[in-house]
Amino acid sequence: MNIYVCIKQVPDTETKIKLNSDSTGIDPAGIKWVMSPFDEIAVEESLRVKEKNAGSTLTVISAGPARATESIRTALAMGADNGIHIELPENVDNNTIAKALAGALKKEAHFDLIFTGKEAIDDGSAQVSQILGEFLDIPSITVAVAIEYGAGTVKCKREIEGGSFEIIEAALPVIIAGQKGLNDPRYASLPNIMKAKKKEIKALKAADVGVSDADQKIRFKNYQLPPPKQAGKKLTGDPAAQAKELVRMLHEEAKVI
Amino acid sequence: MTWQTFVFLPIALGAFGYSFYRFQLLFQMMKAHRGNSNRLDNIPARIMTTIVNVLGQRAVLENKGPGIMHTAIFWGFIIITTGTLEQFVSTIYQGATFEFMGQSLYSGWLFLQDLATLAVLLGVFYASYRRYVVRPVALGKSKDANIVLLFTGSLMVAIFLMNSFHIAGTHPWYANSLFVSQWLATRLGGLASEPTNAALGTFFKWVHMLIVLGFAVYIPRSKHLHLVAAGPNTFLKTLPREKGMTPINFEDESVQQYGAAKVTDLSWKDALDYYSCTECGRCQDLCPAFNTQKPLTPKMLITDLKHNLYANKDKILAGKLDEVSHIIDQNVNEDVIWACTSCRACEIACPVFIEHTDKIYDIRRNLVMMESRFPPEVQPVFKNMETNGSPWAFSSADRAKWAEGLSVKTMAEDSNVEVLLWVGCAGSYDERNKKVLRAFASILKKAEVKFSILGSEEQCTGDPARRIGNEYLFQTLAKANIETMNRYSVKRVVTACPHCYNTIKNEYKNFGGNYEVYHHSEFMAKLIAEGKLKPTKSLDATITFHDSCYLGRWNNIYADPRKVITSIPSARLVEMTQHHDQSLCCGAGGGRMWMEEKIGKRINVARTEQALETNAEIVASSCPFCITMMTDGITTKEMKDKVKVMDIAELLDQTTT
Amino acid sequence: MAKIFIVAEHRDGRLKKATFELLGASAAAGNETHALILGEGIAELAKELAHYGANKIHVVENSALKNYSAEAYSKAVAQVLKAASPDIVLASHTPTGRDFLPRVAAKLGVGLASDCTQLSFDGSKIKVRRPIYAGKVLVDVEFLGSGPVMATVRPNALGVPKPDTSKTAELIQETVELGALKTKVLEIVKGSSARPDVTEAPVVISGGRSLKSAENFKILEDLADVLGAAVGASRAAVDAGFRPHRDQVGQTGKVVSPTLYIACGISGAIQHLAGMRSSKVIVAINTDPECPIFQAADYGIVGDLFAVVPLLTQEFKKIKEH
Repeated sequence: MNIYVCIKQVPDTETKIKLNSDSTGIDPAGIKWVMSPFDEIAVEESLRVKEKNAGSTLTVISAGPARATESIRTALAMGADNGIHIELPENVDNNTIAKALAGALKKEAHFDLIFTGKEAIDDGSAQVSQILGEFLDIPSITVAVAIEYGAGTVKCKREIEGGSFEIIEAALPVIIAGQKGLNDPRYASLPNIMKAKKKEIKALKAADVGVSDADQKIRFKNYQLPPPKQAGKKLTGDPAAQAKELVRMLHEEAKVI
Repeated sequence: MTWQTFVFLPIALGAFGYSFYRFQLLFQMMKAHRGNSNRLDNIPARIMTTIVNVLGQRAVLENKGPGIMHTAIFWGFIIITTGTLEQFVSTIYQGATFEFMGQSLYSGWLFLQDLATLAVLLGVFYASYRRYVVRPVALGKSKDANIVLLFTGSLMVAIFLMNSFHIAGTHPWYANSLFVSQWLATRLGGLASEPTNAALGTFFKWVHMLIVLGFAVYIPRSKHLHLVAAGPNTFLKTLPREKGMTPINFEDESVQQYGAAKVTDLSWKDALDYYSCTECGRCQDLCPAFNTQKPLTPKMLITDLKHNLYANKDKILAGKLDEVSHIIDQNVNEDVIWACTSCRACEIACPVFIEHTDKIYDIRRNLVMMESRFPPEVQPVFKNMETNGSPWAFSSADRAKWAEGLSVKTMAEDSNVEVLLWVGCAGSYDERNKKVLRAFASILKKAEVKFSILGSEEQCTGDPARRIGNEYLFQTLAKANIETMNRYSVKRVVTACPHCYNTIKNEYKNFGGNYEVYHHSEFMAKLIAEGKLKPTKSLDATITFHDSCYLGRWNNIYADPRKVITSIPSARLVEMTQHHDQSLCCGAGGGRMWMEEKIGKRINVARTEQALETNAEIVASSCPFCITMMTDGITTKEMKDKVKVMDIAELLDQTTT
Repeated sequence: MAKIFIVAEHRDGRLKKATFELLGASAAAGNETHALILGEGIAELAKELAHYGANKIHVVENSALKNYSAEAYSKAVAQVLKAASPDIVLASHTPTGRDFLPRVAAKLGVGLASDCTQLSFDGSKIKVRRPIYAGKVLVDVEFLGSGPVMATVRPNALGVPKPDTSKTAELIQETVELGALKTKVLEIVKGSSARPDVTEAPVVISGGRSLKSAENFKILEDLADVLGAAVGASRAAVDAGFRPHRDQVGQTGKVVSPTLYIACGISGAIQHLAGMRSSKVIVAINTDPECPIFQAADYGIVGDLFAVVPLLTQEFKKIKEH
């Protein structure tokens, strides 16, 4: 089987995000870059499929700035066979990313299964797997928490609202976007980390995959930081007063209830 | 030469030959180990330690009763062996004796022999009483031990019978010197005629010699192998108390195997350790894991590894190292390996200087780096250290938050300081430990010590990664920290965390990091001794000090924290039943802070119970992990309102102005 | 006056509140508000859309649309939109909306602003603002190129308007060509009525050792029932046998990041904190004002949880009933 997994390099969740001087983007200084956590789940799933199907190859693809190759290297260290990096500038939109990925995939001999994460934790739009499905004219199944592999088909359990699940079946090729709970990503062993240093990452440019500025359909502007988190409020009074005040604040101020 | 020569010589040659052959095999198995261990530094010190511990039996005598018993048997045997030599010689060359040394020397020597034989026999009685009547847990059941006691006891009886019948039958001139045998002779001699007694004397001489030959054949197959191995093991021990783990050279591409997947991946010194083990169980007595019902006991670890080695003997000797079985088997299973808190009580207790913990670490290294096989709760710890330079998921940008409002400078702001205060991850992120750092910073200010911190440039020293077995991650962090410290030309470092202390002091030197490193207890004790700090407020409380393993057993620092406590007016120091070298670990070492404790009793609860027995109002500590563990323990025992857990820096800061 | 298309969402014969939010906002801005509803046997349901502001209601009845599927919905919606050429297309950022709308956008060759928390109408365009980096940064979204602008809006971001049951709207029957579908929804597995898992619940209420017994956890469960929350526990409570290990929140248990985390009788030592620090809002209830949890909490009550929690349950009930 020819298996592909699409990943994105994003800032780590603990990194403090700062804005650049003119609010047109974030300040890259001091950012720790990691593979998006849902993509790790996708890589793990794709590795398991590869391991269960002798003779399969797993290729990891990422479209992004030059630094994205580090995350491709991480996926290679987990066990992927090949890497493809499509160099794109910072701050492109999901349409551009999906088009670039589609362009790279169309150059491949054939694809049976494509895995992605359900969303990238920086953008959080959860669009790319579906747009990619459109460009490749194949189905995309999102938020998969369990997958059963049949001969040429997959049966996925997807999360829908209210704690319910949908069981959906599709014939290959298909894109599956993995959700937390699908698996526990492995920790790369050192021999695999060493081997990964030597694996080849094919370098593609935007033009190679048919992508240009015209593919950008939305742009982010007017970056702002939300108001800073205030120090905790200690509520006073007797328990009844405290309870009343807390509920009021949670409802009106924090708006969480 | 008589018929005795022609009967004895082949038997002796056969026995010794076979024994030698088996020793050869043991030696070959030792040599087949992949790992290296360089232990020929500081020969004079090595000679000294061997004299003191082998001849002087010092480590053995740490446990008084069995120590004296063993010393008696040890020296007794050496003396008896000289006598055995005479028996062998006189059997091969009929009539030859050692009487050529002169009558007074000879009779003195014989007197010593009888004394020695008596001493050994009494030793055997004591050992048997201990093993079969008292039955301490440390000893367990051992067929091997039974055989050895039987061999030894019957050998002593045979010697006495040999001498007494010889005296009864031939009335030699030196009979008085063999004072015990002579007394026996008066009791037994009347039973038969003189020729019969003489013949019985010869008979029991043969019994004696055959037992000795039997021993020679038995030793390589028994824990009595320690007779041969313990001396060299002492000579080759790691000399200083402080030691770092051996680094792996990742640049060396010829190394494909990291850590120990098979017993032969360990080093020759590890094999020598197994050969030296007497199964005395002192290591087990102090092991916090064993004493809280975990499957790990250092004693069984050593014997199980030895059995693994022996089980693979044929493959090893045939050079088929890749067919050697995996080191993890039903005896040495993963629960055993992960239970270790690296407290090193086992190593400190061992009278033959076995180094148990290094084997565990090497096995962990393979599990973690080669097989990605480790408790799942550890994976986020690795990831956090890789991404954020801390085992906890906090941003490195927040590392200096504890110091807000305290006018503490970073090295970037001012590197012209007396000492670098290494804060550590607990001090940076754990609310409880931030208080300790604030107290210590306040103390440094009071003593007018000029210091800076690294702030967001500081990363975890890598201690958790290394103890859990992720050597690669450790080296990445270590090298980054060293590069930072060297960039600021750091010469002196002080830290409030024994783990940071141990790592920077003893392990960073392998990577180009050479600094004068102090633990805050040493530093404060020094400031007090120099008069730069003087606690004036009184603290009217009983205080018990919990010795941190990484400070005490790892680095021999026991007095300094106590000096800090006793310098406080009205403070009363009480010791727990297990203190100093015998202190019970809090349970967080060896990376266990980050692992769930699922088996047996919680180690920290066991230690807390010991603390509570002292009725102290304050449990003092000098380590962030110990404070966490002891606080947790106090809360579990519902004594939170009665007993406080404090760091010694907090105690000192409270009582100084 | 812009032409707005709002894709309505429904399940089990009920329209979603989030759809009403969008209709209300569009109508309030004076737009030509079209609602688009797909399914089978939805004629009655469709009429309700007029009560919330729809001027025209497009109904797509097709047996293949009886159950939601991304493939069928995106095909159907794209066809209707291509024919209608609206200025603006909106849907809710629900599991459904976020799933199929990107495919619609790709089919139309336009971009999609997802999970918007602010929306206003500006002629034939919309002004939207959304969070990125898990809410650490807020941005405006600019739409480039031609074609309808599309956005999904976070539920509860706009208010739900009061329905006007007197309103009606033109119902337009639309037909779509779905062709051979490549995916098949086999079944819907209903969520159990049992409490949600700690890692998935939007609200988590955790108890520590101070609960003193497994039975006492009932007061937390009562509160959880009112809030649709999960009940978590500190390691100490799990060790003491009050709760099972799967409820343990912390470094060696589960890491959770709910919208609201209420810690009752938990000191907040770093091992526990590591498991819930990233919760959006943290409330702490503890008798000890010095304990570390108050450093991490947004709201703190120094008090006895046995007194406070039942009162909270009452107060929350009042809010929920409104």
